[in-house]
Amino acid sequence: MRKRWFAYAVWLLLAACLYFFENNTGTRVILACALLFPLIPPLRGALFGADVPPEGKAPEPQTVRVFVCREADEPGDVRAYRPGDPIRRIHWKLSAKKDELLIRETAAETETVQAEQFGASSADELKNRSRKRLLRALICAFLLCAALLALIPEANHGAQALFNRLFAASESVNAYVYDRFPVPEEQPVFLAAVLLTAALLALVLTAFLLKRRAAALCLAAAFALLQAYFGLSFPAWINIPLYGCLALAALKRPLGRGPLIGFCAAALSVALLTALLCPGVDAATEAASEAVRDRLSRIAQQITGSVSEAPEGETETRHIHTRSLEAGDNEAATDGEFRLVTVEEEQISQPYWINYLKIALLLLLSAALVILPFAPFVLLNARKKKAQEIRKAFASENVNEAVCAIFRQVIAWLSETGFGADNRLYREWADTLLGGMPEGYAERFSRCAEDYEEAAYSSHALAEEKRRLAMDLLKETETALWKAAGRKQRLRLKYWMCLYE
Amino acid sequence: MRPQLENVLREVEKAIVGKRDVIEKILTALLAEGHILLDDVPGVGKTTLAVALSRAVGLAFQRVQFTPDVLPSDLVGFSMYDKASSEFVYRPGALNAANLVLGDEINRASSKTQSALLEAMEERQVTVDGKSYPLKSPFLVIATENSVGTAGTQHLPYAQMDRFLVRLSLGYPDYEAQMAMLRDRQAINPLENVSCVMSAEELLSLQREARAVTVKDAILDYITRLTMASRAHEAVEVGISPRGALFIDRMAKARAFLENRDYVTGGDVQAVFRDVCAHRVLLKESAREYTVDQVLDELLKKVENPDRRGFLAGLKK
Repeated sequence: MRKRWFAYAVWLLLAACLYFFENNTGTRVILACALLFPLIPPLRGALFGADVPPEGKAPEPQTVRVFVCREADEPGDVRAYRPGDPIRRIHWKLSAKKDELLIRETAAETETVQAEQFGASSADELKNRSRKRLLRALICAFLLCAALLALIPEANHGAQALFNRLFAASESVNAYVYDRFPVPEEQPVFLAAVLLTAALLALVLTAFLLKRRAAALCLAAAFALLQAYFGLSFPAWINIPLYGCLALAALKRPLGRGPLIGFCAAALSVALLTALLCPGVDAATEAASEAVRDRLSRIAQQITGSVSEAPEGETETRHIHTRSLEAGDNEAATDGEFRLVTVEEEQISQPYWINYLKIALLLLLSAALVILPFAPFVLLNARKKKAQEIRKAFASENVNEAVCAIFRQVIAWLSETGFGADNRLYREWADTLLGGMPEGYAERFSRCAEDYEEAAYSSHALAEEKRRLAMDLLKETETALWKAAGRKQRLRLKYWMCLYE
Repeated sequence: MRPQLENVLREVEKAIVGKRDVIEKILTALLAEGHILLDDVPGVGKTTLAVALSRAVGLAFQRVQFTPDVLPSDLVGFSMYDKASSEFVYRPGALNAANLVLGDEINRASSKTQSALLEAMEERQVTVDGKSYPLKSPFLVIATENSVGTAGTQHLPYAQMDRFLVRLSLGYPDYEAQMAMLRDRQAINPLENVSCVMSAEELLSLQREARAVTVKDAILDYITRLTMASRAHEAVEVGISPRGALFIDRMAKARAFLENRDYVTGGDVQAVFRDVCAHRVLLKESAREYTVDQVLDELLKKVENPDRRGFLAGLKK
């Protein structure tokens, strides 16, 4: 606390000194700021922290006094007993040794440590509040700064001059004429820049404080529109952080790690892909291309002889080519070199392996295009075949197998339509079947479940009768569940599960 | 259920009212030729049950009340010098002449006595002075253990618990059963009403039949997966032993036989699993939030039952 006051005093002193040594706008502003800052409550709060009582219903922090006692072995830590000293402070051990009552020194050896204890939530809240307070203070500071500067004519004119410059820059790029501000060209721009920056920062911070998505989005849109209007955009290293900050403010909640990593990965992969497929101008490639062009021109000079200037453009190249053909055998070698060179030139704009990559991608794509349309049919057909095989087992000569297959089909129906009871024995499934199935179905089901158990786990053959019973149950299940199924469910049952024929 | 077994059940129920499920389990254990550990508070009818069972089946009954000074020779007999013939004569102990032995409060016996009894249970013979004497067949031990007042007792070690086929507890009777019991015992001792409805030979043949019950591989697979899962469970220190797995199989067969089936289903395994395995599973010291029953229930819930496994295998094929 004291330190902060001291710093403030030093600042004030410096401002005053500056003002008296050189009376200009800058020093005036500094002095004004130094004088006015403590008057604005949020700023005072930011500057002098605990000085300002927290407004509203800030929870009174619970303080816990912890007495830390050091070993009181040194003689300086105790003193003789005086009437009125609390009995608790008597150093009994030493007193017994020295045969007189000794008291532990309170101020010197007992430190009072205040430990503030907060629950996690209240600590968060407190942090949040202090952050908000800081934001508010900063906004006030920037607004005040901007307002003070706007009052000073130099800054005002400087800003106008700045805008004029901006118009000029825009006009040089776009074919549009702006109305200029009527101010002379030579104006000090430093103050104006400070003014504009302060106003901008105040705006951005407001967006952060409000944390209304709309506010931040509007601000971002305004920036984008302004940039479009002037036809001049900031360089990427300004634009990216600016819009990034605004997007952060627009988010309802701070970004989690998962989406952040996903976003970064996506951005990285896009960048990588772009770099791979469109590598842009590579310095090495450019140099190589330059060298080739030089060689080309040298060859052209050799061939044409007297022509001094380097051939440029298509016609000239063709001309060279015909000439070389006319020249006959002795120039064939040169011609070969020339062809070699032209081929080299075609490839040089991109690294050669990019082509292989492109070919591979193309092959992959065409293969996918050929295969994909048929894939569903292949898959569905395989499923259908499997289903038919299962159905074949229904008529198997071995009744046990048939009953097992039929009952498993019933189970498949029930599991697919949400009647299943997962890892429970089939005889216990009847409980879940009571609702939504026809009257008496549960009993028939449990009877069939017992038959199934006999068929699956016994070593003797079942009567033919049981197959009929199981078949009846399957038919009943099918009709009941098919009727109850919706359109989507029916499609699934028929084509995907191949349960219905 | 076979008529003979039904009769036995009815006779035993005369003495023990309202405990049909426990009596069924004991009959199952009897068919599976296993020994039973009854773990319960005093006075719920453990002894009455054993006596009634022995009377109904016509088994030779012996009861041993264990105390710290019961000696192994009391159980298995001893050799005594006979002056007349001047040689050692074998004097049979309590176990020799019995089909059904009730070992009351087995945890009060000294450990050497416990081990003598356990040898007899496992080998179905007793050895005295290097000579082995076979015991009567069928041979069944019903041991009781009190879970209260265990001060000064020798709790059965884990290895010895493992020899019992099942651990059961009777529990208190409900209101109806309690009322019926009080009403019945006004004049007569209900144990006297229990008549012999089956002979030991019949029991032996039933046991043979129970052993012939079919167990398909799907069921054996289920038992194996259950035991393996119990060993791999996070809260379990010692899981179900291979002997435990064998006992599950035997008990499930007996249950299927009791229900008049000649094949074992997954339901049989599930029904006997808790009783057979509850005393075979030791939990870790650190797993305080679990009880053995919870672990077993979780295993039953988690491990795929043979019905479902068959279904899933059919899907994969």
